Amino acid sequence: MNISFWQAALGSLGGSVGFALLAHAPLRSLLPGGCIAVLSFLIYWFLASLGISESLSVFAGSLAGALAGHLVSRRMKMISTIFLVSAIVPVVPGLGLYRTMSLLAQGLTAEGADQGIRAMITIAMISLGLGAGSFIDQRSHLHRNRKDPEPPGSRPA
Amino acid sequence: MKEKLTPALDQPCMEALQLAGRIIIENGGETYRAEETIAHMGMALGLTEVESFAVPSGLFISYRRPDGVLETSVKRVHRQETNLTRVDWVNRISRMLSAGELDLMQALSRLRGIQRLPGPVSSVWRLPAALVCAGGFSLLFGGGWKEVLCSGLIAALVQLAGNLFSRFRMHWYAASIAGGFLTELLPHLAVLLVPEISMAATVAGALMPLVPGLAMTNAVQDTLRGDMVSGMSHGTQALLTACCIAGGALLSAALLGFLQRRMIL
Repeated sequence: MNISFWQAALGSLGGSVGFALLAHAPLRSLLPGGCIAVLSFLIYWFLASLGISESLSVFAGSLAGALAGHLVSRRMKMISTIFLVSAIVPVVPGLGLYRTMSLLAQGLTAEGADQGIRAMITIAMISLGLGAGSFIDQRSHLHRNRKDPEPPGSRPA
Repeated sequence: MKEKLTPALDQPCMEALQLAGRIIIENGGETYRAEETIAHMGMALGLTEVESFAVPSGLFISYRRPDGVLETSVKRVHRQETNLTRVDWVNRISRMLSAGELDLMQALSRLRGIQRLPGPVSSVWRLPAALVCAGGFSLLFGGGWKEVLCSGLIAALVQLAGNLFSRFRMHWYAASIAGGFLTELLPHLAVLLVPEISMAATVAGALMPLVPGLAMTNAVQDTLRGDMVSGMSHGTQALLTACCIAGGALLSAALLGFLQRRMIL
């Protein structure tokens, strides 16, 4: 990744806050949503800077964002969608999609298809991270709310 | 003897449940959320056998009243705009109803109010929001201050065009095609004024506010809860939106290529 820490943090904050405003998200969710986006993108940025594959970095970033989004939504008693959208938007491969379109428009079909498949893999990794985060959150929530079953016959008739 | 049928909508309970589910689906909420909200509200209202089935284009509700009568309703839902504040408000009302802080008529009155609730930002303030969004993403894609400014201004112009489209009640796919077209076209015109800007960071940044992030999130969330119909429906919507944006951008690129070959640009 050829961007600095501050570029990554400021860019993901601005991008996600603007996106949330366009989706008419409640105003009190903007700052927490922006912080989740920064966390999600910085994890991706840090792992990609270490040379870890793009797919794994995107998965880790979106997983962390999804977990943080569910946690914050429970704390703030707000719908999780607001925070999940903020978490995934910065890792959407906008540049990859642009390159795909650009190459296809120039008639470079093979190169365009290659870029397109890479972008699709990144989108699949985002979905997987989001799904895994939601699954972990569901399981942990069920576990916390579960009461130990009483043995049969423990209550007097 | 014929049994007298009571229209279901005469019942405030049914109206409240229907309204809650409809507002959630119309404004971009997940279908599982609509079903869960209806179930929670129904239980809070003392109804039994509360069942609901929601898809992105419709809502089916059934419950048994305390007097034993089974009520059922079917409602066609037309997706309006994305307004997560309304979805959040319905969620809050459902919680308040469950906690006993509201009674049925108060909840119904508030739900009717939510239908008309505007978003937290007006259509004018959506322009700076698009500017901030596109500028931020342009920075992420390695752009400098010129690219940030340029993509922000282009996104604001595309947003303005989107506002005009919605005023003329044009369908979302027409707006997506036009958005993609303008997002590809305007940076090429901007290059004529500022030749040193990076085209990739500018176009990709300006495209980001159009990305169907909410539909993608809903597709994953619904599928994960086992609602394959809604998951597929939201996934298809996300894919179609992305195809429309890409189609518009490709159309614009082809037009620019044609003009360049003719040495017009």
